[in-house]
Amino acid sequence: MILILFKKELRETWRTWKLPIMLIVFVIFGIMNPLMAKLTPEILKMSNLAGKLSLPAPTSLDSWTQFYKNISQIGIYLFMMIFAGIVNHEVSQHTLVNLVTKGLSRNAVIWSKWLILLGQWLSLNSLSFLVTWGYTAFYFPDNHSPHPVLAFLPLLILGCFIAGVIVFASTITRSNYQSLLIEIFMMIVLYLINLFKQTVHYNPLSLMSKNLDFLQRQNSVADYWPAMLITVGLGLLLTFLASRIFAHQRL
Amino acid sequence: MKNAQVLLDNWPLLLPLLILELGLMIAAVIHVLRHPHYRFGNKVMWLIVVIVFEIIGPVIYFAFGRGKNE
Repeated sequence: MILILFKKELRETWRTWKLPIMLIVFVIFGIMNPLMAKLTPEILKMSNLAGKLSLPAPTSLDSWTQFYKNISQIGIYLFMMIFAGIVNHEVSQHTLVNLVTKGLSRNAVIWSKWLILLGQWLSLNSLSFLVTWGYTAFYFPDNHSPHPVLAFLPLLILGCFIAGVIVFASTITRSNYQSLLIEIFMMIVLYLINLFKQTVHYNPLSLMSKNLDFLQRQNSVADYWPAMLITVGLGLLLTFLASRIFAHQRL
Repeated sequence: MKNAQVLLDNWPLLLPLLILELGLMIAAVIHVLRHPHYRFGNKVMWLIVVIVFEIIGPVIYFAFGRGKNE
């Protein structure tokens, strides 16, 4: 059942241009990262500061810094923006009424939406990662960033949480805007929790902010297993709550 | 002269970037023109938004501006 719905969601996200648009955007990010790393010293050189400060040559680390900055500061919000209406759009259009009265499980609707979001998060980020990785290996063949794949995996795990947040926010609200507001509110809460240093190993946010550590020191990833567990747990919990709420909703 | 050299050196990065950004913009422009019903705003406003704001403009259009009838 979920599989059939998943295919329906996949067709929908493709035909409403959402997936194609996001694919292009994430590839653009992928290309921009090494480009910004390469050009920043050039831009500084052209400015008046030339000669006054010595600029170190850019390394692969600069490129990865750009990657994680772009994903965590822009990419994630664009993703939320595009998919903010994933549940409430269908509710407001009454497209689910027929299917549900014919016996379609409401649980399956919610979980298939969570799955399609997770799937898109994984594929979009992986695509962006591969593009950046390719260019970075080509332009900066140094050994400053020895564990690119390991550093990237936590970002994929974060997808469980992001997809949960989007499904949950979209279920309890009536419009794109309200849903987006709630999603951003949840991110703000995470950032506020992040102000307390001792929570760093438990905060899902660490999975997209500590990646440069992981990139350079393999061992540090292991310290963050509580954050990974909490991230997956919260994602599943939010989706479960969404399915409970959705069960009693008027379609 | 030096600027041109920078462009030449980085063409493997700049060329695909340019093509993708143009592609995104053109896709959004075509959609704006073909679907003249928006949730808010009008055709001219959305054209300006998707053309002037690289990347963000088209995304905002597809997230918020696009009309209900697909």
